[in-house]
Amino acid sequence: MPLLTSSARFPMPEPRFDEVVHPPTRLRICGLLRPLEQMDFAVLRDTLEVSDATLSKQLRILGEAGYVRLAKTTSPERRDARRITWVALTPAGRKSFDAHVLALQEIAGTAPVQPG
Amino acid sequence: MDHTLSTMESNFRDPNEAAAHLRNLAADRDTLAAGVTPPRALLAAIGALAACWVAAALDTRPGADYQSPSWTWLLVGLLFVILHLIRRDTGLKFRRLGARANGAIALAALVCLFLFSVSLGLVSLGLGWAVMLTSLAAFAAVYGLTGVAFRAAVDQLRAVPHA
Repeated sequence: MPLLTSSARFPMPEPRFDEVVHPPTRLRICGLLRPLEQMDFAVLRDTLEVSDATLSKQLRILGEAGYVRLAKTTSPERRDARRITWVALTPAGRKSFDAHVLALQEIAGTAPVQPG
Repeated sequence: MDHTLSTMESNFRDPNEAAAHLRNLAADRDTLAAGVTPPRALLAAIGALAACWVAAALDTRPGADYQSPSWTWLLVGLLFVILHLIRRDTGLKFRRLGARANGAIALAALVCLFLFSVSLGLVSLGLGWAVMLTSLAAFAAVYGLTGVAFRAAVDQLRAVPHA
């Protein structure tokens, strides 16, 4: 995967293995959320093909680490008062995910060359 | 147990497994991008707003005392409502749209400005009926270009780097 190496606006983080991010489902959650501002809980669940309970549990762990935040909005189309839950990576979550991916790339031998 | 797991993860050094994790991330984004259906009705609604704006040339008095019809601001408000509905419909709020999508949106805006100018010219020549044609052209152009922009924004999810 190409990384932003030349832009001063997005300096490349230091590789750092993050044990909160590393478990497969949590890594995949962060990977899907990373390029987006927010994502609907249902779209995330369907893309990952996991149950509501599994996704909720993993989001709770990521939330406790300060890596994701949830926001609920009402939906006038839903008469049963269910709400749309938006999920987003926090700045800390993005930073940890980026550093973790760099660590994985280093281990896999696909890490980009660090600018000198 | 947690300590053992933590130690195991800290000792994670398998290149094949690391590569598999990275491949899974790319595969998930492919799945996400492939699963998004363009909200055609809402994109058509944006096209309809563009057509209304170009048709607003009929409600003007081109010349030195030209004033834009005030009701066109309502179209701006409706545009924000439609953008909100697109987000809710797709379940995605984009951080960045990407160069291709931004280019398509800019082109749509330029086409609308051009067609609006043409429409003003037609009205000043007493050819108000021909504004229907420029309105239809605005609808078609904006519907097509917003579709291109949406697809480009979704496709760039695949290309966005992890860092």
